[in-house]
Amino acid sequence: MKQFESLTGKQLTRRQLLTGSALLGGGLLATSLTGCGGAAQAGEVREIGFWHLLSGGDGTKMQAMIANANQANPGFKVHPTVLAWGPPYYTKLAMASAGGRPPEVAIMHASRVPGYAPGGLIEPWDLGLLAENGITPENFAPRIWEKGQQDGKVFSLALDSHPFIMFYNTDIAGKAGLLESNGLLQEVNSPDAFKAMALEMQKVTKAHGLSLGYLNLGAQMWRLFYTLYKQHGAEIVLTPGQPMQADRDAAIESLEFMASLFDDTIAAKGNDINTGIAEFVRGDSGMLFSGGWELPTMKKAKLPVDAATIPTLYGTPASYADSHSFVLPRQLVVDEEKRKDAYKFVSDILKGSLLWAEAGHIPAYQPVVQSPAYGELTPQIHYANAADIINYDPEAWFSGSGSDWQNYFAEYIQNVLLGRTKAAEGWDGFVARTNDLLSRPNPV
Amino acid sequence: MSSSTLSRQTSQPRTTRSPGIKAGLSLRRSRDTLNGWAFAAPFLIFFLVFLIWPILYGFYMSLTGKSLTGANDTLIGFSNYAEAFADAGMWRSLGNTLYFTVISTVPLVLIALVMAALLNIGLPAQWLWRLSYFAPFLLASTVVSLFFVWMYNPQLGLINDFLSKFGIAKVGWLNDPNVAMWSIVIATLWWTVGFNFLLYLAAMQNIPVQHYEAASLDGAGAWRQFFSITMPQLTPTTVMIVLLQILASLKVFDQIYQMTGGGPGGSTRPVVQYIFETGFTGYRLGYSAAISYIFFGLIVLVSALQFVITRRRSV
Repeated sequence: MKQFESLTGKQLTRRQLLTGSALLGGGLLATSLTGCGGAAQAGEVREIGFWHLLSGGDGTKMQAMIANANQANPGFKVHPTVLAWGPPYYTKLAMASAGGRPPEVAIMHASRVPGYAPGGLIEPWDLGLLAENGITPENFAPRIWEKGQQDGKVFSLALDSHPFIMFYNTDIAGKAGLLESNGLLQEVNSPDAFKAMALEMQKVTKAHGLSLGYLNLGAQMWRLFYTLYKQHGAEIVLTPGQPMQADRDAAIESLEFMASLFDDTIAAKGNDINTGIAEFVRGDSGMLFSGGWELPTMKKAKLPVDAATIPTLYGTPASYADSHSFVLPRQLVVDEEKRKDAYKFVSDILKGSLLWAEAGHIPAYQPVVQSPAYGELTPQIHYANAADIINYDPEAWFSGSGSDWQNYFAEYIQNVLLGRTKAAEGWDGFVARTNDLLSRPNPV
Repeated sequence: MSSSTLSRQTSQPRTTRSPGIKAGLSLRRSRDTLNGWAFAAPFLIFFLVFLIWPILYGFYMSLTGKSLTGANDTLIGFSNYAEAFADAGMWRSLGNTLYFTVISTVPLVLIALVMAALLNIGLPAQWLWRLSYFAPFLLASTVVSLFFVWMYNPQLGLINDFLSKFGIAKVGWLNDPNVAMWSIVIATLWWTVGFNFLLYLAAMQNIPVQHYEAASLDGAGAWRQFFSITMPQLTPTTVMIVLLQILASLKVFDQIYQMTGGGPGGSTRPVVQYIFETGFTGYRLGYSAAISYIFFGLIVLVSALQFVITRRRSV
C-alpha cells in the first residue's frame, strides 16, 4: 500500500489520507454552511418556525400576511410549514411538542386547546409581553377571549372566529321571490318555514333547494347538528369519569329535522363536501350550509352569492364555530429573543387581519372588526353577527375540530341522515360511545 | 458423511502443524471473524436499532399507561391487555380486518391466476397486457383512493351514472355499510392484483414446455393440461402468494383511511386504524401498544398455521 508522510513525520496510509480529506472536505462544507448562519447572526435575522393548517383560499391570504410581517420586521423571518387539516396536523404538533422541538409558534383550533394545555404541550402567553405589543384582553370579544383560557391562564390567542353559515345564490333566491326589498334573504324562524323556503328554491333550480355535503365527514354533520342543538338552548357537558350530560329530546329533534332535509328534493341524500359545494357553485341549489372559509371559492366562481348566519329555527340564536388561534408549543430550550419575535409576529398578524377577513373569517381583533374597511366587506358583514352567538365544541380532551369525537359522531349519525337508522337509535349509540371515552383514563 | 467424520478429517492435519503456523492461523481466523462482523455490522445495527429495540420497547410500553404527552409513564402490568380484551371497538376493528382479509385474498389470488393463464396462452402484444395489468400497482395509495372516491360518488360518480342508464338505482358505494367494504376490495383488487399476476406469470413461464408436448401427444386437451400440469406445478407459488396476500391484507390501512375513514358507522375501520387512533389522536400510547401486540400475536398465529400447512404439503 502506498504511504504518505504527514507533517508530523508520521506515515499515513492511503486510506487514512482519503478519510482525512473527506473529513476536511466535510469540515470545510460545514464551515461554509455555518458561514451562512454566521452572516445571518451578524445581520441578526432570526428564523422563526410557524406551523399552520390553512391550505385553501385562506392559505394564500395567510402567506400574504406572513410576507407583510416579515417585511415589517427585518430582525426575523418567519418560515411557515403547512400541514394537512385534522389528525395529520394535530398528531404532528402533539408529537413535536412532546419531544420538545416544535416551531416557535403554531395555529390551533381553540376547541383543541383543552387537549393540549393540561398535558403541558403548549405554554401560556405572557400578558405583559402581549401588552407591550399592543395586544390586550379588550381587543377581543369576551366570548372569544374567554375561550383562550385554561385554569386562568391564556393559552391561545384567537385570530378569528369561523362560523358555520348559510350561503345563498341571490339570482335563484330572487327568482323564487325570497328576497326582501334590501336584497337580503327573507328571515325564517321555524323548521317548516325553512323547508318551505328551500322547496321554493328547488322549483327554480329544478334540482335541489339546499346543498350540504357530509358523507364520511363527521365535522360537517357535527357543525349543523351542534348549531341546531344549541338553538334549543341546550348544553352538552363532558366530565371525565362521568356520563355525558345532554338534552336527548333536543338532540333527537335536531337530528330528525336534519334527516328530513335529505329527501333528494330539498337536499341530495348523499353528497360529500366537495360535491355539495360543486352543486351549489353549478347553480343546482339555492343555498349551501358551509363554513365562511368557502367564500374565496364562491368569489372565484363569480357566483352571485350572499351569506347569513344559519336561521334561528328553535328560538335561541346560535351558531357552531371555532377559532384559528395562536399557541406557543412547548420547547425544551426556549430562545428568549425568538420568543419575543413570536409575540411581535402574532401581534402584527392580528393587527393586519383585515386581509384575513377577505378569506371569509371574522377577525377576532376588534379594532379591525370596527374599522370602516371591514364594514365595506360583503357578504362578510352580513354574517359578522355570528361572533356574538358562536358556540365552541363542548370541552374535553377528545373533542374539537377534526377530532376523533367528530368522527364517532359520523359513525352513528350518517345512517340517520341517510334514513337507515332512527334518530333516537343513532343518538343513543353516540352517547354510549362518548360515555365509553369518558370512562377511560384521561391521557392528558 | 456424518458431521463427526467431517470434523475428524478437518481437525486431524491441524495437530501436525507447528505452533507458529497454528498461531498464524488462529490470528487469521480471528481477523476473518472481525471482518465478518464488520461487514455484517451495518445490517446488524439497523436490525437492532430499528427492529429489535422497537419491538422490545413497544412491549414495555404496552405495560405502561404512557401517553403521547409523556404523562403517566409508570408500569401498570397487563391492565392495558385486560382493557383491550373487553374493548368492543378493538374486536370490531379486528373483525373488519379479518373480513377484509378473507374477501380480498380469494379474488386477489384467483383473478391473478386467471389473468396470468390468459396471458400465458400467447395473446398478441404481450407487453401491453403485462403493462396494463401491472401499471396500477405502481400508483400511490392516495392516487388510487382519490380516483375511486370520485368514481364511487353517489351523485356525480362514473359508476352510478353508468348504472342509471340501465335504470339501476343509485348505490351508496362508500356510504352503505353493507357495500363499503366490497367497494374497497374492488379498488384494492384493481390496484394490487398486478403483483400476484406477475408472480404467477413468471412461475407459469418456468414450467417446461415438454410437459405440455407430452400431454398433447397423449391426447390431453387444454383444460386437462391446465389442471393436471399447470396447477400442480404452481402449488409452491400459490402457497407463497396466498401467504403474502394474507399478510398484506391483514395490514390494510391506507386506502380505507383515505376512502371511508373507517366509516360508514365504523363498518370498514381496520385494526391498524384503531391502533393509530388510540395511540396518536387519542394520545394513549401504552394502550395502543397493547392492541398492537394482540394484533402481532394474530399475525404470528396465521404465519405459523401457514408454515405448518406448507411443511405438511412438502413432506
